Amino acid sequence: MKKLLVMIMLGVMVGSFTGGILAAGEVNLYTNRHYDADQKIYEQFTAKTGIKVNVLKGDSDELIERLAREGESSKADLLITADAGRLHRAMVRGLLQSVNSDILTKNVPVNLRDQDNKWFGLTMRGRVIVYAKDRVNPEELSSYQSLTDAKWQDKILVRSSSNIYNQSLLASLISIYGEEWAKNWAAGIVKNMARRPKGNDRAQATAVAAGIGDIAIMNTYYLGKMLNSDNPAEVEVAESVGIYFPSQAEAGTHINISGIGLSKYSPNKANAIKLMEYLSSAEAQSSFANANYEYPVNPEVEPSPLLKSWGEFKTQQINLTELGIYNEQAVRIFNKVGWQ
Amino acid sequence: MQLSDKLKKQSIGWLLISSLIIILLLIPNINILLNLFTDTSENWQHIKKYLLMDYIKNSLILIISTGLLTALIGTLLAWLIAAYEFPGRAFLSWALLLPLAIPPYIGAYTYAGLFSYTGPFQVLLRKRFGLVVNQQYFDFMTMRGAIFIYTIFLFPYVYLLAKSFLAKQSASLVEISCLLGKSATSIFFKVILPVSRGIIVAGASLVMLEVLNDYGVVKYFGIPTFSTAIFKTWFGMGDLTSAVRLAAIAMGVIFILLYLEKLLRGGRQYSYSTSQIRPLKRKKLTGGSKYFATMFSFSIFGLGFIIPVGQLLYWSYLSDGSKWGNLLEYSTGSILTGLLAATLVIIAAIIVANTVRINSGILSNLFARITMLGYSIPGAVIAVGILVFLLQVDQFISWLMQPFAIEINMFLTTSLVMLFFAYLIRFLGIGFNAVNSGYQKIGTKFFEASRTLGKSVTATFFKVDLPMIKPAVLSGFLLVFIEVMKELPLTLILRPFNFNTLATRAFEYAADEMIYRAADLSLILIFCCTIAILLVNQLRKGREDASEN
Repeated sequence: MKKLLVMIMLGVMVGSFTGGILAAGEVNLYTNRHYDADQKIYEQFTAKTGIKVNVLKGDSDELIERLAREGESSKADLLITADAGRLHRAMVRGLLQSVNSDILTKNVPVNLRDQDNKWFGLTMRGRVIVYAKDRVNPEELSSYQSLTDAKWQDKILVRSSSNIYNQSLLASLISIYGEEWAKNWAAGIVKNMARRPKGNDRAQATAVAAGIGDIAIMNTYYLGKMLNSDNPAEVEVAESVGIYFPSQAEAGTHINISGIGLSKYSPNKANAIKLMEYLSSAEAQSSFANANYEYPVNPEVEPSPLLKSWGEFKTQQINLTELGIYNEQAVRIFNKVGWQ
Repeated sequence: MQLSDKLKKQSIGWLLISSLIIILLLIPNINILLNLFTDTSENWQHIKKYLLMDYIKNSLILIISTGLLTALIGTLLAWLIAAYEFPGRAFLSWALLLPLAIPPYIGAYTYAGLFSYTGPFQVLLRKRFGLVVNQQYFDFMTMRGAIFIYTIFLFPYVYLLAKSFLAKQSASLVEISCLLGKSATSIFFKVILPVSRGIIVAGASLVMLEVLNDYGVVKYFGIPTFSTAIFKTWFGMGDLTSAVRLAAIAMGVIFILLYLEKLLRGGRQYSYSTSQIRPLKRKKLTGGSKYFATMFSFSIFGLGFIIPVGQLLYWSYLSDGSKWGNLLEYSTGSILTGLLAATLVIIAAIIVANTVRINSGILSNLFARITMLGYSIPGAVIAVGILVFLLQVDQFISWLMQPFAIEINMFLTTSLVMLFFAYLIRFLGIGFNAVNSGYQKIGTKFFEASRTLGKSVTATFFKVDLPMIKPAVLSGFLLVFIEVMKELPLTLILRPFNFNTLATRAFEYAADEMIYRAADLSLILIFCCTIAILLVNQLRKGREDASEN
């Protein structure tokens, strides 16, 4: 009996190890999107093309680090991460290669992809202002800069600066207004914070509802998630706050993407490009973006009814590559002004 | 040549295999530690100027408070359970181990969720009683909250060690103190705490290492510590060198703390053990103290297990179970991985422990210490060391196979081999300590007798040693199993394609701010760990009963 067990365990061990040898006719994807809906889209792609999608999920930064360490011998074909800043970081480290595909350049607007086509945005989200409907008149709100006004002292909620969304927001402001301006802005926000930055984006909206502060800076899709939460109390919170797209009279609201890049040493390049094209196609875009309450990048695809109800808005027109270029400066500014 | 030296001959095979294991364990770590000797980067100056003091301060507060609190609570509970008879004692004796089944980051999410504005507690107050409470008092995501989380989920490390020590070792001391008319309180503070200091420190240093390396809780609570800093500099600034430097400082802090403790102890010999193992006779508590003991122990159990599990059950009820994937797949993935990894680790641990026992001396002392190395360095940092090392091995294998026209391309780094190797490095220390404690109990008398009768070291091991240390081996196996089930950073960074475990899925949902979906996965994970803990307890009990006879 014992021997039998040992044999079974050995068998499983050998089986699981040999399982690591990947067959051709597949495409290998490193992604930090964990949504169950994504898996369905990959299955649709497989059904259509016969190409199997192998998925390795992880934190963006860790996946990039792994890709870098694997170097030439990496099995990864594609890298999907949230945030253009991270894709840029992967590009700078020489991990991505250009893709010449008319389909991709048609489907993805020019400011949402790398200038050398080393990465492409797939979904879009705005970093917006969320306010307490009962305490704040949206007419009091205007731009990102107005958040540093003295009237918002002890009223602003925002998460930690170690979060990439904040880093990219500040990077975009550096790109548009310059470093000095951005530093003053960050210092102004720190001065107006209602509490030490903590928790995730949802926690900021919840804190607004709870009256800890009046306005929060957060990503659009988290509000979508809260409105569709399993917890009725969270739905109530989301309904008690309003959404405001800042800086409409100026440079526009900060947007960011989750996007995809072809790895430099991709062993299944042709298959990989097919998957990239598929993900940008009208067919995949709506479910890929809707899975996470994001905006599709493909201009032919309409956002979900919920997102449409928030109205159209003007976005920052900078090329998102800038988010990567100014990321390090942004991190340093945060540290200097004491944005934890 | 002395007899015992002769007996040790022929053990060269064991020494060789052990050395191989130790070398395999050292390479990835050294690979990383070499970064310490490179020049400081510009980032480092920036970190030093703006951040380092905060990191040090926060980490110190966390480590010291958690260390002291776990020591106090763990020992107090161990003392109550070992020395007194009170209602619920038998149940609590094992139930108090269960908080170990809950990974601290899941505990953090559940507690923060429980008390948050949208959590059941405040919703109840608002809806039923129209009470809107001051959020300040319900804010769990603070330094105090983090200390609470670590204490309540990690104190069993101290409790487990202290309980069995006190039950077996303290009988005569306690009896003498009683005869001298000491009160229960003064016995606890003047006798029990000092006598078990070594054991308590051992348990508390495990706790402190866990706290230092934990990332989930402090990240979620927004407390800047060394481990958040390591991630921030490494991934945020792309600067591995500075990250390793931070990790080294963090380890330095722990060593200094442990050294300080030794200094404080000074020349005083607190360690105490008798060759006569006599179980402590439990005193029946009466009146108020009876209820106090029961209530205190139950509230710790409630905080560390019932409440978080209850909250997870509630979340699981809230979330729509049909929406998400394959619980069975993740469960089997987790359990098989846990079992295989634990087997691997424990085999290696036995080999090293046996070698260390046979060859006393500097080398084997060194071996014993090195086994803990993998547990002391932050998981994410070791992960990179392992990846780099195995990539080199992979390239070497391909090169080796070239002349034979066999194409083995990236076999190790694309398979589970890498993950199992990582678990081996990380948890060898845990397995080693368990096996070693078994060896220490049986001593070398039987080994020497068997050798004198002409049996080889290996034959002796299988015929004499192994049957005797079997309970220790099994409990080491289960401890490693629990650790592997809960493990996150290594699994996340080093896993192969299409591989998911309960812990990784739960973490992904939590990271996506979909904590409700993580509830079912967490519950299964906690259930598996609970069973393992119960088995460990059964084994220990068996051993304790055996030694009583």
